[in-house]
Amino acid sequence: MPDSKMKILVVDDFSTMRRIVRNLLKELGFTNIDEAEDGAIALQKLNGDTFEFVITDWNMPNMDGLTLLQTVRSTPTLKHLPVLMITAEAKKENIIAAAQAGASGYIVKPFTAATLSEKLNKIFEKMAAA
Amino acid sequence: MSADNDSPDLEALFDSIAASVHLEAPSPAPVAAALKAGDGKNLQALFDSVVSGAQQHAVESAPGAQSAGEAGEGSDWPAQENVFNRIGQMARQLHTTLRELGYDDLLKNTVSALPDAKDRLAYVANLTEQAACRVLNATDVAQPAMEALEGAAKSLGARWDKVFANQLTTAEFRGLAEETRAYLNGALPEKTGIVNAQLMEIMMAQDFQDLTGQVIKKIVALAQDLENGLMSALLEVVPQSKRSEVPNLMNGPVVNAEGRSDVVVNQQQVDDLLDSLGF
Repeated sequence: MPDSKMKILVVDDFSTMRRIVRNLLKELGFTNIDEAEDGAIALQKLNGDTFEFVITDWNMPNMDGLTLLQTVRSTPTLKHLPVLMITAEAKKENIIAAAQAGASGYIVKPFTAATLSEKLNKIFEKMAAA
Repeated sequence: MSADNDSPDLEALFDSIAASVHLEAPSPAPVAAALKAGDGKNLQALFDSVVSGAQQHAVESAPGAQSAGEAGEGSDWPAQENVFNRIGQMARQLHTTLRELGYDDLLKNTVSALPDAKDRLAYVANLTEQAACRVLNATDVAQPAMEALEGAAKSLGARWDKVFANQLTTAEFRGLAEETRAYLNGALPEKTGIVNAQLMEIMMAQDFQDLTGQVIKKIVALAQDLENGLMSALLEVVPQSKRSEVPNLMNGPVVNAEGRSDVVVNQQQVDDLLDSLGF
């Protein structure tokens, strides 16, 4: 079981979506959560603090989720971070692009609490095995 | 389109011009009178311009007609044909102008409808955001109440288990009975009251659907009109070879996945796709 104190960054340009993800995470026992409203702000926060997990939307102003993911993977201090994408982008080429860019998981909106829980656990298992 | 509605007017106009020119070419007065009978501001304006045009044509053609008449008896027809041709051209020009004016009206409508549509969409975004916030606020209030209920019920239940296991003294049992009574009469209805009020709040927060639904229907109708117009215009000018989709990775939610093989419709398909690629 992962550390419930694990610091998680939730990135989405819609405050309601951030709130929903935050509530779901709280329900799953994670209380140490910070939010960012786009990729650029997320990157600032990731560089300024120690996060252990990133959950990000794709389509956002300033910097989109894919660019954020690519930037994280190409930054030596951040590249190990698990990045879970939760997005409305449902084209196959989107999913492939995210996977190729190194996404740890991909959830399409609308999603359920069970899906989030399952994907998180899968990522934690992989992290533990690594 | 107004062009269709105008054809009877046009015919009447044509007839009156033809008749007046034929009968008394130098005097355009009957034309003007006939034109005045036309309705609509645009029509009136056009009619006015046609009247001045008709006057010109009449003045130009009149000497020709006279000279033709002078040149020889029985050769009236070429001159009249000339007049009719000119009038035919004028009628056609008028028809074209009217059609253009019709399109002009459509454009004006569209130009005024677009800011309206933007306002309406902003209204939808506003209402849905408010509703989402109301629901999230309601759950924020209801959840602690439910947790308190659950906690108190569990603690009382555990102590009642001890009663049935004969592990409590008479005094402890009396205390438990009093606490249980207080819980049933006080904390329980108080918390369920809070939760009920929040459930009502969640229900009432859905009132946006009726309003946004109406607004969205109107915008969909506008968008369809625009799309039809633009599509037909584009299809006329875009060559077949250029009609390929521009690749883009930020399309937002798929609103209609029917018949599409390039999108996934649920999480299972996402997982299957990633699995099949070895991720």
